[in-house]
Amino acid sequence: MWTGDLDSKVLYVQTHGVSDPGRSATPFFLAASAAAMECEVMIYFTMYGPTLLRKDVIDKIGPKGDHGQPLRYFIEQATGLGVRLLVCQPSLDLNDLRIGDLLDGVTMIGGAAFNDLAISADAVISF
Amino acid sequence: MFWLTPGNLKADVVAEAAQPVADQVLDCSGMACPLPVVKTSQAIKKIDPGQVLELLATDPGVEPDMRAWTTRTGNELLSIARQGDVFHVLIRRMK
Repeated sequence: MWTGDLDSKVLYVQTHGVSDPGRSATPFFLAASAAAMECEVMIYFTMYGPTLLRKDVIDKIGPKGDHGQPLRYFIEQATGLGVRLLVCQPSLDLNDLRIGDLLDGVTMIGGAAFNDLAISADAVISF
Repeated sequence: MFWLTPGNLKADVVAEAAQPVADQVLDCSGMACPLPVVKTSQAIKKIDPGQVLELLATDPGVEPDMRAWTTRTGNELLSIARQGDVFHVLIRRMK
C-alpha cells in the first residue's frame, strides 16, 4: 500500500478515541508535519481510534473538547497534504461503527496489511 | 538583531547569511506547530529553484523544525535570525 514515491514512509497508530479529546489531535499534527517533509504518511486507527473519524463527531469535538478547533480542522490539514487514513474491521465492531459512519476516503485494511505496512515503514509511531 | 548561534556559528557565517534577499516572504507570525512547516512546504513549491523564501515565525520551535525540514527536503537553510519575537528564516529552493 506504500507507493514508494517518496524517500521515507511513516506510519502513525492512533488508539485513543473521543473519550480522551486531549489525545485526539497530535497524530494529525505530526502526520501533517511528516507529509510536509515529503514523507509518505498513513495513520492507522485501531482500538478506540476510529471514533475520531465519525462524520457526526468531527465538527463537535477537538483536542480541547467542545471548544477550540474541531477535529475536522486537524484531519483536513493532514489529508490535504496527502496523509492517508486507515481503519480495521474489528475496531469498527468494538465501537459499534460501520465504515459508512466514518469520513469519506478512509480505507479499510486488516491485520496482515497493517503488519506489512509496519514492516516496510521507516518509522512506526504509536499513540 | 540577535543572531542564533546553533553549534559554533562563526562571525563570517553570520555576515554571509545576511546577504541573500528573499524573492518571497511567508508570514507565519502567531501560528503554532505544524502550520509554519506546512505553509513553508507549500510556499517553497511556488518559487523557482534557486530563489529564496523568507519565513517569518514566532513559534519558538521554528529553528529545529526548519533545520529538520530543510535537511529532509533537500532545500538549503541559509540563515535564521531573531528580531524581537520574530524568527527570520531564509531558505533557498534547491530542486
